[in-house]
Amino acid sequence: MSDPPSDRQAHHLLASATLACGADVDLLLEQVADGLGGDRDAHQRECVHCQAAIEEFSAVWGPVTELAGNPVPAPPGLTAAVMSQIRVLVRDVWYTLQTTNLGVIRIAARTVAALARDAAHTVPGVRVALGRSTHGGLATPAERATFGHHHPHAAVGVLGRTAVVDLAVAVSYGDPVHEVARDIQRHVISSLRDNLGLQTITVNVTVDDTLADDGQ
Amino acid sequence: MQSKVEVGDTYLVARAREGYLDAYELLAQRHSAMAYRVALRLCGNHHDAQDLAQEALIAAWQNLDRFRADSSFHTWLYQIVTRRALNKLTRRRDTGSLDLLGDAADPSAEPAAQAERNFAVDAVTDALAALPFAQRAVVVLRHFEGLSYAEVAEVTHSSVPAVRSHLFRARRTLGTKLEEWR
Repeated sequence: MSDPPSDRQAHHLLASATLACGADVDLLLEQVADGLGGDRDAHQRECVHCQAAIEEFSAVWGPVTELAGNPVPAPPGLTAAVMSQIRVLVRDVWYTLQTTNLGVIRIAARTVAALARDAAHTVPGVRVALGRSTHGGLATPAERATFGHHHPHAAVGVLGRTAVVDLAVAVSYGDPVHEVARDIQRHVISSLRDNLGLQTITVNVTVDDTLADDGQ
Repeated sequence: MQSKVEVGDTYLVARAREGYLDAYELLAQRHSAMAYRVALRLCGNHHDAQDLAQEALIAAWQNLDRFRADSSFHTWLYQIVTRRALNKLTRRRDTGSLDLLGDAADPSAEPAAQAERNFAVDAVTDALAALPFAQRAVVVLRHFEGLSYAEVAEVTHSSVPAVRSHLFRARRTLGTKLEEWR
């Protein structure tokens, strides 16, 4: 067996294609970079050249591994900024309109949709609820993004104190779907009436998925 | 917006394509950290990364009709972020210094350890910044994001052998620079 490499030789490991034993330097570095420096094959367990190279590469690559493991959270407000711009693109400007002796109250259709969605979420058996606030006449980007899809029902159609809300929900597998859907309608209507003062409300519920406990 | 359960991306993409912005909001919440993180590691500073992540998430929504069902939304977003980072850097021709940690410095670290760590971070970031974009991208996707070789090839519209070739060169360059730093 030949002598183990000196520090000087180790420093120049990367200048060579192979070690004295014939092992491929790139493959050894790949092994370390992939976090497999400890998974040594039979040759590596016996070979001082490979062992020295793996130790050296582990030390060299350590800062990369450490840095890769550091969490990098998204900046606060990133998602909100994205959705804000998308809503501008959709030009979601439909409002409910209520006239009082103090003036006019306008509530954006998407606010109605959000409240309806949150109300639907609280109904037992509902796993996810999505409220749609975009109207049939979408702006161009929205039409492209949605294939110009026009749902047979109005999404959130609002006129005066009347609203038609379209909800897509996924429910727990095994729950009676029609009963969950009826509970959603009752609860959403009650919530919109109490919180927004809407009087004539239609809630269309599309149950488009059932989910097992693991969410699949 | 909160969901009671982690529904799959496939479900949310389908609903988003039907016009449910809520669905896309959940997708954006789920993947915004990844978009920002990759942008930060590719283009080098917090402000550019924030802009780039935002642009990529909006572009993904605008192009949902082009999204192929045989891919994952995650992989598709990697593609958009990577391509936009390349475009941004190509226009600017100035990668500056990379700050891979953004504002996420560990406030609990001892000053000496923090200084040492910052040196290590600087060494890695400088070495990464000096790599050609293609090599930097494969290193970020493979060694920072943990994608498989096949996934990196899909994101970069390349082949597995080409990815491996870029990685071999990139690791040699990084290794040499980090050896010098030590």
